[in-house]
Amino acid sequence: MNVFESLEHATGVPWVLWSASFVAAVVLAAALTVRARLAAPDGGLVPDAGVSVRNVIEMLGEMLVGLAEQNMGPRWRTYFPFVASIFLYILIANLIGLVPGMGGATRNPNVTWAWATLSFVVHQYVGIREHGFGYLLHFMGPSLFDVKIGGRTFHVRLLAPIYAVIELISHVSRVFTLAVRLLANMSADAIVVGVWIALVPAVVPALFMGLGVLVAFLQAYVFAMLSMIYIGLALEEAH
Amino acid sequence: MRKFAKICLWSLTVLLLPLAASAQPEAAAADAGTWGYALGAGLAIGLAGLGCGIGQGLTAGNTTAGIARNPGAAGAMFTNFILGMVLIESIAIYGLVIGYLLQAKIG
Repeated sequence: MNVFESLEHATGVPWVLWSASFVAAVVLAAALTVRARLAAPDGGLVPDAGVSVRNVIEMLGEMLVGLAEQNMGPRWRTYFPFVASIFLYILIANLIGLVPGMGGATRNPNVTWAWATLSFVVHQYVGIREHGFGYLLHFMGPSLFDVKIGGRTFHVRLLAPIYAVIELISHVSRVFTLAVRLLANMSADAIVVGVWIALVPAVVPALFMGLGVLVAFLQAYVFAMLSMIYIGLALEEAH
Repeated sequence: MRKFAKICLWSLTVLLLPLAASAQPEAAAADAGTWGYALGAGLAIGLAGLGCGIGQGLTAGNTTAGIARNPGAAGAMFTNFILGMVLIESIAIYGLVIGYLLQAKIG
């Protein structure tokens, strides 16, 4: 039914893998194009005329840098490549999925759960590396009062039992919500377009495909932004 | 006139034949919970859409009022607007997912 499924017929490799590898190839091609332009003698100071791959990626990069500085604080450069990869990959995967005849990678739960798991592992690792065992203090809620024993100040967190459960559930649900939000948004748009093609094949499916382009951008943006917010939350001090 | 009446009568009989054919009882292929699943699926996405509509409507209204008050800060407000809309939308999407899961159990 789509290009990647015929590849699956031919080779036996599931079509999701073909689609995901195709998206990775497109991202790589875009990255290499930008890098080639930046290797110009003047260091790439002069932008290209009109709309080119490099200009589009520079615009997206500027927006992402602004968001990263705002959400991840002064050390955003360390984590920026990961978040920017998330954004670019999911954006291009969503857009490729909109083209009729090409199967969307993000419509398959494997891809979205993989990215959600990666994002979760990265921000938990960031928190653990930053705070060590103090990362557990994040799960214990605000400190109600301080107690001075022998010259050191202890923050007493009385609400820890309640807060631990709430925080644990909300942390675990981060993976779930990231994955399901992306997956359900992209498959819902595909299904709606399919239904409208069955009902009114003339103009209305095109409108919903336009909505699908908007949704593609928004979902990539929100996935990247939420990853940045989680990393920022893991980096900051406990209450 | 009798010929015309005869033609009318026969045409009506042929027209209403499918009714007689479908008078046999349908095979009961569904289990007892089918209407429950269908009702649940409809209510899931319906109520989720209701809540999402109210939430996003409030967000859009407040953002518009904020931009009208202070057009200079429209950029920052737009960022929060988009983030709020997408997060509220995701709740409606969870309702849709439950609707899918229930609809798959029908029949």
